[in-house]
Amino acid sequence: MSKYGTLYVEGNSFFHKLDPSLKLLLFVLWAVTVFMFFDLRVDFVLIITGIVLLCFSGIPSRIIKTLFIIVISFNIINSIFILLISPDFGVTLAGHKTIIGHIWGYDVYYETLFYVLTISLKYISLLPVALIFIFTTHPSRFASSLNKVGIPYKLAYTFNIIFRYIPDIQNEFKTITYAQAARGMSFGKDEKSILKRIKHLFNIVIPLINSALERIDKVTNAMDLRGFGKYNKRTWYNKTSYKKVDYIFFILLILIFASCIYLRLSLESKFWCPVFFR
Amino acid sequence: MPKISFKNFSFRYRNLVAPTLKNINLEIKQGEKILIAGRSGSGKSTLMHCLNGLIPFAYNGEIEGDLLIDDMQPFKENVFEISKKVGTILQDQDSQFIGLSVAEDVAFVLENNNIPFDQMKKDVMSSLDVVGMKDFVEHSPYELSGGQKQSVSLAGILSSSADVLIFDEPLANLDPASGKNVVSLIDELLKKTDKTILIVEHRIEDILEKSIDKIVIIEKGEVIAFDTPEKILSQNILKEAGLREPLYIEAMIHSDLDIRNLGHLDDIDKLVTKKVKSKLVNWFDTATAVNDNQSKFSEKLLSVENISFAYNKEEQVLDNVSFELRKGEIISLLGSNGSGKSTLSHIIAGFLKNKIGKIYLENELINSWSIKRRGCKIGVVMQNPNHMVVKHMIRDEISLGLKAQGCDSETIESKVNEVLKICNLWGYRNWPVSALSYGQKKRVTIASILTLNPKLIILDEPTAGQDYRTYTSFMEFIKKIAHMGISIIMITHNIHLALEYTTRSIVLSEGKKIADDTPANIFSDTEIIEKASLKETSLGRLADVLDVSKNKFIQHFINYEMENMHRE
Repeated sequence: MSKYGTLYVEGNSFFHKLDPSLKLLLFVLWAVTVFMFFDLRVDFVLIITGIVLLCFSGIPSRIIKTLFIIVISFNIINSIFILLISPDFGVTLAGHKTIIGHIWGYDVYYETLFYVLTISLKYISLLPVALIFIFTTHPSRFASSLNKVGIPYKLAYTFNIIFRYIPDIQNEFKTITYAQAARGMSFGKDEKSILKRIKHLFNIVIPLINSALERIDKVTNAMDLRGFGKYNKRTWYNKTSYKKVDYIFFILLILIFASCIYLRLSLESKFWCPVFFR
Repeated sequence: MPKISFKNFSFRYRNLVAPTLKNINLEIKQGEKILIAGRSGSGKSTLMHCLNGLIPFAYNGEIEGDLLIDDMQPFKENVFEISKKVGTILQDQDSQFIGLSVAEDVAFVLENNNIPFDQMKKDVMSSLDVVGMKDFVEHSPYELSGGQKQSVSLAGILSSSADVLIFDEPLANLDPASGKNVVSLIDELLKKTDKTILIVEHRIEDILEKSIDKIVIIEKGEVIAFDTPEKILSQNILKEAGLREPLYIEAMIHSDLDIRNLGHLDDIDKLVTKKVKSKLVNWFDTATAVNDNQSKFSEKLLSVENISFAYNKEEQVLDNVSFELRKGEIISLLGSNGSGKSTLSHIIAGFLKNKIGKIYLENELINSWSIKRRGCKIGVVMQNPNHMVVKHMIRDEISLGLKAQGCDSETIESKVNEVLKICNLWGYRNWPVSALSYGQKKRVTIASILTLNPKLIILDEPTAGQDYRTYTSFMEFIKKIAHMGISIIMITHNIHLALEYTTRSIVLSEGKKIADDTPANIFSDTEIIEKASLKETSLGRLADVLDVSKNKFIQHFINYEMENMHRE
């Protein structure tokens, strides 16, 4: 958490200077590309490009490391589940079958292993751009940038408000759980029965909703009193304007994306699963 | 022509039967500074909402009579047009801080008015300069104290064109020193600009420290007084309206001074003539030997030994804090925001675990006790009752703790009935919690803890937002609980509360205990006052002028008040 209580990390990198709307576009096109292909080669290219970009972002390696560990562990668990639940899924996709071993009497297929590897790398290849977008984008600049590209400012400002009050709500949540735990209604390690824990968890819902409603009322009044919503347009203190580098980045991005689409169209099957041995 | 004028003005909320404001007639001139006082629910907030346009924009109802701001009829305009003329600073400093940084928050009103970027930047800086917050432009709200947030909100209003400023309880939630700063800031602002200022506030003594042109007293929706502070103070109107008189005025009444015929009631220095001085000193001489409150409490309940605590390596939140608490004792925990008060109370309740230091309850080491186990002996009452109330009906709410312990229904029934009676909630036992007033809700939260038979109750700002009358009855109730042998720790910024209802105060500053003494001694020690962001009371200043011992004078005042209250 930064000093703003948001995820934004201050810095001076290329991505910090890049217009937030372009970062969002980068992320969206990146994700579309990732899901357009089912190809290990593409995943590799994207991961390497992503990591190179990440190196230019100035995000502390501590954060990057933690998140990579989280995503990789998630993928391992995910892969195990796929292998357990549908061990022949890759076979159906690839249209051929190679048995490479047996575990507890079950056949292990090369195709499914390959499928699991591809899908894991797919998720991992999303991570670098997601990190760049989240950690180098100031919420207010993001809001003003969205407004600039035509999103109504009332909607765009919602991002600001959410980021502004997340830490407050976290604190309130803590206060409420403390208050209930002290009355013997804990849902932490204190309470041994899982059923009771769940029951107690429901007890904090009412105070949480009450205090959220109270806050919404106050915040809306405060915003009304300072003229939010008066005109159809508003100016932004944290405004962003497109610079030369933004235009160049935009053109490059579109060109690369277009060639990705071309590449996809020229490929025959979606799932790339080479047969090395049989 | 007056700046603001109410003529035979009445207002009724749509969902209420009776009008909240009745036949208001007021004329306020440009550049005047007005204090608006009244009990909770008297209609003072409604009056302010009529001025700033939240009525009828956010709260609808029926209006009769006339209201003019300059030549504008606010009810014919929308809230945005009104905001050009009237700026409001709300009570909750956190909720009204909308920007992610100081600059953004100040710019908010400018953004909404489509002010171009360069102009906006200039305006933000100049407004921040007026309130002395120029060095904090890029700070986030989480790096600011309550008083600083208040200043930022003020800068936000200054950057708009509004020339009527409404302050809705600006001192609530502020520590005494920050409160004092805000009062001075408002005063300076008036000198620099020609704004008309309306302040709604319970803490009359604090507001009167800087000069006020007029006071409006509202009672049951009607204006019962509208006059200079001098006149209001001399007529005993505050007390009749259920409000607290400044302590120095009370001291003079105790000395049998006829305040109606004294001049300069709003200025201690000019007020104390030879005659006044001799009367006051006579009264002071009747002081009996300092009564030793400590000896009443003998049995030790809690002992906190050498507690240190840090959330991370950089910041030491508590540094070697030790204190003792006896059975039936009421003590106050004082200190500025961030001094470690809440952390200390959270450690005692077991919400946070301390690695260094020991906590004994009834001579038993409780460091390893879980929150749940501590909860049976140590109750915690949060400041905002809405953070605690879980159930719809009062009876369900109060019996919840016992149910969680798995008691049988007969035990629960009898215990809950007993507690309902102690808390004066018996008449409401079948009501929904939402139908209760703030003070009553507060009682429900205490009741729900009393059922668990706690030995110690920690109260966080128990009297915040309550007027004098509810405050007094609430605190008498707390005293009753303490007489049952339950010890009370109150975390508070309220000086009156500490002085009148606690026998001992523990003062924290930057995580260290800097004092553990009678409130009278603490509030006469300038060094502690400064370190802990406290504030001297008007009694202290009066003692200075009289040239008598401050702590003895304050102690005499407290003893006198308590004796008389019980005689009544």
